[in-house]
Amino acid sequence: MQSYCSLIYLGIFLPAVMLVYSLMPQKHRRKVLLLASYVFFWLVSGKLLVYLLMSTLSIHHFGLWMASIINEKKSVLAQAEKSEKKEIKARYQRQLRGVVTFAVLLHVGVLVVLKYSAFLGTNFNLLLSALKAPFSIPIPTFLLPIGISFYTMQALSYLFDVYRETIKADRNLERLALYMSFFPQIMEGPICRYSQTAMQLWECQKITYSNMTMGMQRILMGVMKKMVIADRLNILIKVVFSGYDKYDGSVMLIAMVCYTCQLYMDFSGAMDVVIGTGEIFGIKMPENFRQPFFSRTISEFWTRWHISLGAWFRDYVFYPLSMSKPLKNLTIASRKHLGNHFGPLVSGSIALFTVWLFNGLWHGSGWQYIFFGMYHFVLILLGSIVEPFVKKGTEKLHINRGGWPYKGMQIFRTVCLVNIGELFFRANGLSAGIAMFKNMVTNFTFASFRDNSFYKLGMDRYDVIITIVAVAIVLFVSIQNERGISVRKSLAQKNVVVRWAVIYALIFFIIIYGAYGAGYVPLDPIYANF
Amino acid sequence: MKEKMKLFGRCTAFLLILLILLSVASYIFMPKNNKKEFGMDVITANGILGEKENTIDVLIVGDSESYCSFTPMYMWEKHGFTSYVCGTPGQPLYDSYRFLEKAFKYQKPSVVILETDTIFREYKYSKHLLSRMQGMFPVFQYHNRWKSVTINDFGSPIDYTWTNDHKGYYLNQKVIAGSDKGYMTPTDEIQDIPDLNRRCLKDIIDICQKNDAKLIFVGAPTTKNWDYAKHNGVQEFADKHDIEYLDMNLIWKELGIDWATDTRDRGDHLNHSGAVKVTDYLGKYLKEKFTLPDHRDDAAYSAWDEALKRYNASVLAGE
Repeated sequence: MQSYCSLIYLGIFLPAVMLVYSLMPQKHRRKVLLLASYVFFWLVSGKLLVYLLMSTLSIHHFGLWMASIINEKKSVLAQAEKSEKKEIKARYQRQLRGVVTFAVLLHVGVLVVLKYSAFLGTNFNLLLSALKAPFSIPIPTFLLPIGISFYTMQALSYLFDVYRETIKADRNLERLALYMSFFPQIMEGPICRYSQTAMQLWECQKITYSNMTMGMQRILMGVMKKMVIADRLNILIKVVFSGYDKYDGSVMLIAMVCYTCQLYMDFSGAMDVVIGTGEIFGIKMPENFRQPFFSRTISEFWTRWHISLGAWFRDYVFYPLSMSKPLKNLTIASRKHLGNHFGPLVSGSIALFTVWLFNGLWHGSGWQYIFFGMYHFVLILLGSIVEPFVKKGTEKLHINRGGWPYKGMQIFRTVCLVNIGELFFRANGLSAGIAMFKNMVTNFTFASFRDNSFYKLGMDRYDVIITIVAVAIVLFVSIQNERGISVRKSLAQKNVVVRWAVIYALIFFIIIYGAYGAGYVPLDPIYANF
Repeated sequence: MKEKMKLFGRCTAFLLILLILLSVASYIFMPKNNKKEFGMDVITANGILGEKENTIDVLIVGDSESYCSFTPMYMWEKHGFTSYVCGTPGQPLYDSYRFLEKAFKYQKPSVVILETDTIFREYKYSKHLLSRMQGMFPVFQYHNRWKSVTINDFGSPIDYTWTNDHKGYYLNQKVIAGSDKGYMTPTDEIQDIPDLNRRCLKDIIDICQKNDAKLIFVGAPTTKNWDYAKHNGVQEFADKHDIEYLDMNLIWKELGIDWATDTRDRGDHLNHSGAVKVTDYLGKYLKEKFTLPDHRDDAAYSAWDEALKRYNASVLAGE
């Protein structure tokens, strides 16, 4: 069961969990969900389940430890004189900071050892060889539990929130375990906060007809994105990215666009299945995508793409860094010299750099991922720097920045920049990415289309047509969502014949046009490997 | 309770309509003939569908070792019983089961041979599941025919008319010499048959029993894919389930196999010369162990004589 769109998940696992869940009385349903979650993790990662269990036990323990310090602080403060309060607060704050730092180091340490030790070791050996050292260190390899990057982020957010006292530490280990392991989100997110899902999961509402149909419809849409589009593009992308020196620039361009499309369809499709599964059980999970390709700037793009990751970095890295004493002082100083616009940008760029370094590394242990992070850092920073000049320029030229032509140009520009970033992200290493980009720019011809060789790269004309049709369906739904219209809610108001006809049509669209069976290579979920 | 019943009723109605629609779609997407131009896949193995009903005495399933090692036309010429190889490249056990399922609809073979190389071929459960779904609703197998579906697919009856002159056998006379390298050195080691494969083997045993066919395991000689531990694994399973097991890897010398001349790819597969030696032994073995009829003088089987002529011509032509 390597994918939420697999036959085993959708055809066996999910229906079985739904059946057992609905047959159980309410108080036992949470046990069903927890057991199902651990079975799911076991099926995907086997004995590596122990990492998830350790992580859960550890946040439970550290949470309670912090809670006891907070409670003690409160009772001491209640009896203290006003003049002592500041000193008491600081003393307890130091204790809390010590606990949270230890807990964070533990979790991040496990993640770094399991995920990055091979990358760090390889680069250390390269350094040793550049220094002509007569030895090298052995490179360790570890099996990575599925979803470790996701559940570690959830664990850290819980610890930070308890530390900040935005939530209370949970004494109930079962509830915390369910929050950490809920099976639809364990593999690819969204990265949920304790305040978003823990209580909903604990409530264990019964499965209603309305929740089930709404959830199923969302799941179907996700499966369509994955099986009709992402899987269909897989062979072409694999062929071109692994043999990029054999093709001309137009093929590079198409492969780049196809990969961006594949990544979106794969990840947002998985999110549809995940959130749809949640809906069946009456759980509203946070959205991870909000029509990202309608973004006008790169920074807006990152508020619409993998929203839960961006929000995590914003809340737990960007804000704390920006609000730290050294950076606050830097802002005050630079404001004096550079003014109100450029002054805050100095400290902001330091926080932004850190966020994007982590963001790049979160996606994988490779230089191309660091490059990917830095690429977006530079684009966002440049956007902030040039903004006042663009504003002035457009005013002088009487260009309406709110008009569709200007908005369209901004969207087109953002889509182009995102695509270029994804080219480097997917390339087999940074040098391959640079070579592909160079090939795309300097060797741009349509030779592969003139001699029809393009259609032998894994997609014939029919595949191209059906991909365009499926993308158009996704585009239609996205436009409706952007306009605030929920297609599913509109459909729910129609009579049963129309409703069922639309659902059957979608089912058969997937069955007939899905890229599965002989001649296709299904795509492994891309984000599950991060 | 009322609400639960309502939910159950709606789900049942939805699923019933879905099953009906799946059956209709399956009919539309099924190739209406077993020729390639009609969209049929692996046509050599599916040539079994074009054989006259109840005319095949021995059915052979397995991976490439099966269609490279057993030549039905040779057995027809020497012994007069009919056989067909439904082997396909890399055939997993669930596909072997599917071929048997399809073949039993039209044929009543008294013997089924499972070539043992496929027994250790691992696969994911999802593939097994998809294969079963494809068996129930062929739209899952032939859905990609949307690229070539015509108006005729909506009304024409299904009529399989094509069969293969070599009866599923792959004639190849190339020689790339190999050597035995003592590949069948005896050992007590037993290679485990994966659980999923065991379950599928049990399904194969069941379907053969249901159709009154005697199932036997036969291992074709292959230095690259076989060893004694695998032999022990199959032997253990065969003993447990009372299945006849003939491992030709143990007797390759007795068969007269010369790895310098009888293989087309250094011992991975046999060539025609090797296949003739193996089939000669298999034919005698089957004739001796089972009461297989001799149809050579039966006018109803004249097509086999015609096919034999074409087969021999191909062999002579060195194809």
